[in-house]
Amino acid sequence: MDLSTVWDLFVTGILRGGLYALMAGGLALLFGVMNICNFAHGELFIIGSYMAYFAHVTFGLSPLLAILVATLGSFVAGILIEKTFFSTLRKTSKGEWVMNAFLVTLGLSVVFQNGAQLIWGVKYRGITQYWEGTIQLTPRMAIAADRAVAFLISIGAIVLFWLFMRRTQIGRAIRAVSQNERGAMLVGINLNNIHTLTFALGSMLAGLGGASLLSLIPAYPFAGVKPNIRSWFVVTVVGLGNVGGAIIGGFIVGLLESFAYYFLGQGWQDVASLVMLILLLLFKPSGLFGSEVKGVLER
Amino acid sequence: MQNKEEAKHTLEWKPGARLLAALSRLGIPLPSLILLAILVITPLFVTDPYVLRLLVISLYFGVQAMVFDFTAGFINAVNFGFAAFVGMGGYTSALLVINLGMSPWLGLIAGTISAAVLGFITGILTLRLRGIYVSLMAWFVGLALMAAATAMADITGGFRGLIVPPLYETVTMTSHYYILLLIGVAIYTLLRVIIKSRIGLAFRAIGQDFEAARASGVDPTKYKVINFTLSCACAGLFGAYYGHFIGILSPDIMGTGHTVEVLALSYIGGRGSLLGGLITAFFFIPVFDYLKSLMELRLIIYGACLILTMILYPAGLAGLLQKISQAIKNLKMGEK
Repeated sequence: MDLSTVWDLFVTGILRGGLYALMAGGLALLFGVMNICNFAHGELFIIGSYMAYFAHVTFGLSPLLAILVATLGSFVAGILIEKTFFSTLRKTSKGEWVMNAFLVTLGLSVVFQNGAQLIWGVKYRGITQYWEGTIQLTPRMAIAADRAVAFLISIGAIVLFWLFMRRTQIGRAIRAVSQNERGAMLVGINLNNIHTLTFALGSMLAGLGGASLLSLIPAYPFAGVKPNIRSWFVVTVVGLGNVGGAIIGGFIVGLLESFAYYFLGQGWQDVASLVMLILLLLFKPSGLFGSEVKGVLER
Repeated sequence: MQNKEEAKHTLEWKPGARLLAALSRLGIPLPSLILLAILVITPLFVTDPYVLRLLVISLYFGVQAMVFDFTAGFINAVNFGFAAFVGMGGYTSALLVINLGMSPWLGLIAGTISAAVLGFITGILTLRLRGIYVSLMAWFVGLALMAAATAMADITGGFRGLIVPPLYETVTMTSHYYILLLIGVAIYTLLRVIIKSRIGLAFRAIGQDFEAARASGVDPTKYKVINFTLSCACAGLFGAYYGHFIGILSPDIMGTGHTVEVLALSYIGGRGSLLGGLITAFFFIPVFDYLKSLMELRLIIYGACLILTMILYPAGLAGLLQKISQAIKNLKMGEK
């Protein structure tokens, strides 16, 4: 294996990692702030891909505009989902919030997948590309411009998201809630609004992923299953609820996958990465970056 | 004269009453016996093989929901890799029968044992973990197994699946029903006896308040492993049976979708009730079969019911039933 193969694998891994970072960042946010283990994260992803498809193909919007529409649409969908389900659950659920919320997301995932199938059928709604052309990275390897733009979009979104969380008043409020809910309430933060906003943000990041990768992963009812498992994989590796870690972890897992795929092949790559994950959970359950999530271990 | 008759009456009823008391000491109350009687008699009135098949499938899912509840409802750990243990039993039995020519009956036992061993290992793996982390670990173990079953295409047939011989040549739907019922009753009795014993008390203590249980000298580690091993063994038995019943086995059986179905039945039925999931299965699965042409709609209803249960009444149907019976009792007390 020569250096150029390593470089090719590296590029593939990083490109893949962009999506994982986007998805996992949102997933970690939901757990960190709201204590929701969102099993329907893949379904938020397909909300984005369906919206982008209809905006781009049916209504003929330009690619960037279509992605923007899908992103905003996912944001709104996030608000609706939070207001209908989790807001209500928060009122009725006494203890056991984590498990109850998890089961609700499970139900949501089933409803969304099969609802999409009922409405739109199992047809693949994909596009060949948003933008034409390829970019020559090495003499041997060229990537589609589409792929590169999607990557840049996700990096841009991550940077914006990061700045939003660090530099704005609302971002600070969200972080305050994730650190100490009661304390945040005491200083006058409206918890309900923050929860809704957080869910909408997580949903938006996932939807953006689905929209920008439409040419790679077409919109169909079960398109979200793999991204969901992958983002869960990432957040478990870095520790649930650790947003910064999840973004780095996305790239780590992307790289890991592209190398494992090269050496082990499709089938066994999954087995190997899952076994690694199990070992990690076994020896360091709080994840690589050891976030301070309570209740991981018995002691 | 009247006195004599009364005495005779009580005498006649005594053995029955004694048996009932003994059963109830074992943890098998009268309502479950009535349910059992209904389940035993039903096939005598049903001749339609289609309806009979529905009953078999309801029983298959219902008992799984019961076994799932044994872990979820008592030690409060959601085994999110449940389907993988079912699949483990299925593949073990099928591969042994196909490759070594073993009798399918022995295959059932082998499937049970292999799933039990896997459950034991998973129990050990999740020893130190809590709450959602236990579910995650079990999920990843399940996904790894499913990926392995798919990857070993030369042994398991991969995606295309594996043709599995039937239990015995002349097996009918009615015998399927009664064999499953027998297994189900055996499992129910076993689980009830355990729940009634000190072990069951420890399970509930761990499920309700982990710290308090530890403080009062309950060793969570031990009981968690016991619970996992038992419920996974039962899951494996059902998986092994399923392979011989349906005749084809593919990695799909280990999928998360299957787990979600069992989980939904169990939670809608009510956690910690054992029979809740079983009864729900007998309601849901036949009704859903009418929607066969709309498979999606069926799953949507499942999902919606799960969401509604969690939001409106987390105790499930069993909890609702208990509340209603309590209300009726209170009403009667009030009358007196």
